[in-house]
Amino acid sequence: MADKAGKIINRQLFTENQVLRQVLGICSSLAVTNTMSNSLVMGLGLSFVTALSSMTLSAMRSIIPHRVRMLAQTLVIAVYVILVDLFLKAFLPEISKTLGPYVGLIITNCIIMGRAEAYAQKNPPLPALIDGFFSGLGYTGVLLMVALIREVLGFGTVFGMNVNFAGFETWTIMLMPPAAFFIIGSFIWLLGARAAKKAAKTAK
Amino acid sequence: MYNLCITNDEVRRMQYSSVFTRQKMMRTALLALLPVALGSVYFFGWRHVAVGIAAALAGALAEYLVMRSINRDKAKVSEAVFVTAALFTLSLPPSAPLWLALIGMLFAIVFAKSAFGGFGRNIFNPALAGRCFVYIAFPAQMTMQWPQPFSGFPGGFAHWSAQLSADTASSATPIIALNAGGAPAPLGSLLLGATGGSLGETSALLIALGAAYLIYKKAASWQMMASTLLGAGLLSAVFWLTGLSQASPLFTLLSGGLLFGAVFMATDPVSAPNDKTVQWIAGGLMGAITVVIRTFSLFTEGMMFAILIVNALTPLIELKYRQYKQAKKARAKEAVA
Repeated sequence: MADKAGKIINRQLFTENQVLRQVLGICSSLAVTNTMSNSLVMGLGLSFVTALSSMTLSAMRSIIPHRVRMLAQTLVIAVYVILVDLFLKAFLPEISKTLGPYVGLIITNCIIMGRAEAYAQKNPPLPALIDGFFSGLGYTGVLLMVALIREVLGFGTVFGMNVNFAGFETWTIMLMPPAAFFIIGSFIWLLGARAAKKAAKTAK
Repeated sequence: MYNLCITNDEVRRMQYSSVFTRQKMMRTALLALLPVALGSVYFFGWRHVAVGIAAALAGALAEYLVMRSINRDKAKVSEAVFVTAALFTLSLPPSAPLWLALIGMLFAIVFAKSAFGGFGRNIFNPALAGRCFVYIAFPAQMTMQWPQPFSGFPGGFAHWSAQLSADTASSATPIIALNAGGAPAPLGSLLLGATGGSLGETSALLIALGAAYLIYKKAASWQMMASTLLGAGLLSAVFWLTGLSQASPLFTLLSGGLLFGAVFMATDPVSAPNDKTVQWIAGGLMGAITVVIRTFSLFTEGMMFAILIVNALTPLIELKYRQYKQAKKARAKEAVA
């Protein structure tokens, strides 16, 4: 049952990317991608929570009664989210402030619950840890790509460094969450079209 | 990844008829826009004609590339892309820079049209969706700079572009001036178009000329135009009489983009409803929403948002109306039985 680590990693980063292929975690992808640094912190936080909660739940999977598993999952995830929140407040207060409620809202991110239900339930702790961590990294990668476009066009900066050139006008719309809709939409469009092309080729 | 370059071989095969779908209705629409376009040259100079042509070329190329990725060799560009380019350009302020027009046009074609599957499938009017995108992305260029129109003979025909006045009070649209506490612009100048505003929207007379041609050619529904004007006129009369708004109904109808939108945008054969009754409902809603936005929101103009909102609601209204009609029919049958 246990998959090879490489296979899991490839699946979570590319072929079954949580954001682009499963279309999960969209809410936070829209909300925090206005700057690169926010996205990076959010993505790493989510990777941490998903990895450790997946591992914990996988280790506990034989002792949790099936009927109350959702409750147990939420409690475990909450523990790790609180850890991330306290860590950010203590060591990165600036970013904690700009992310605001979104750190606490990591608990509502469908990716964590999705991995717990779809993978950690049926697999041993180590693969579950890898699966959770790389699904979080796949999410981080997409967030960073979206944030790169939004930050360059919206602020004229990358990680806060100025990349403006003369005559460049910042796009106000890129500062607003709806802009991420178009960007993520384009990514999904391109990936979907590519997958369709591949499927057509193998069908022949 | 897609091959985004067009090969030499492809260029050789390209003839007008193999790249473009001929659409008679779209040519009629372009002809109807001619008076408005000539008027905008007279008022604001030649510059935007070049901008419009550039937008049309960029739009056609973008549509071709996207449609090719969907339909392979059978990819065709609808002639509607030229109408979209014309409508989009005419809805811009006279001083809008070229890059802004290109961004808006590409957004209109790629996201508002091609992403839905190309011509005939878009739920939003592409020109307006593109305008809305640049309106929100670049508010300074879209709402702050209004050059005053040329007058006399030969007016803007002898000029490349209209000059921005340093004095902000004199470079405002009639609605901005009214909101700022000024006197409403004389109806005569609103009728002829000698006011600040977006390229195509200033002259009520020229728009009416285009409307008459569209209706004569049966290329646009007069119900849609009439209901929009009726909705806006009635609600604005209520607001005016109760003192909520300074704009008289006549001023409301003639100022801003209401007339241009009602004639050329609301009647877009793709995004407008087909059923006559639904057209009356949708049009009335458009006019009313425009007046509500103009009166109560921070935006000076409401027509663009009103049309997009109603575009989004149209499928729902059509569905509900169909269900209502079916229920009525069923009841009538029951009564007979």
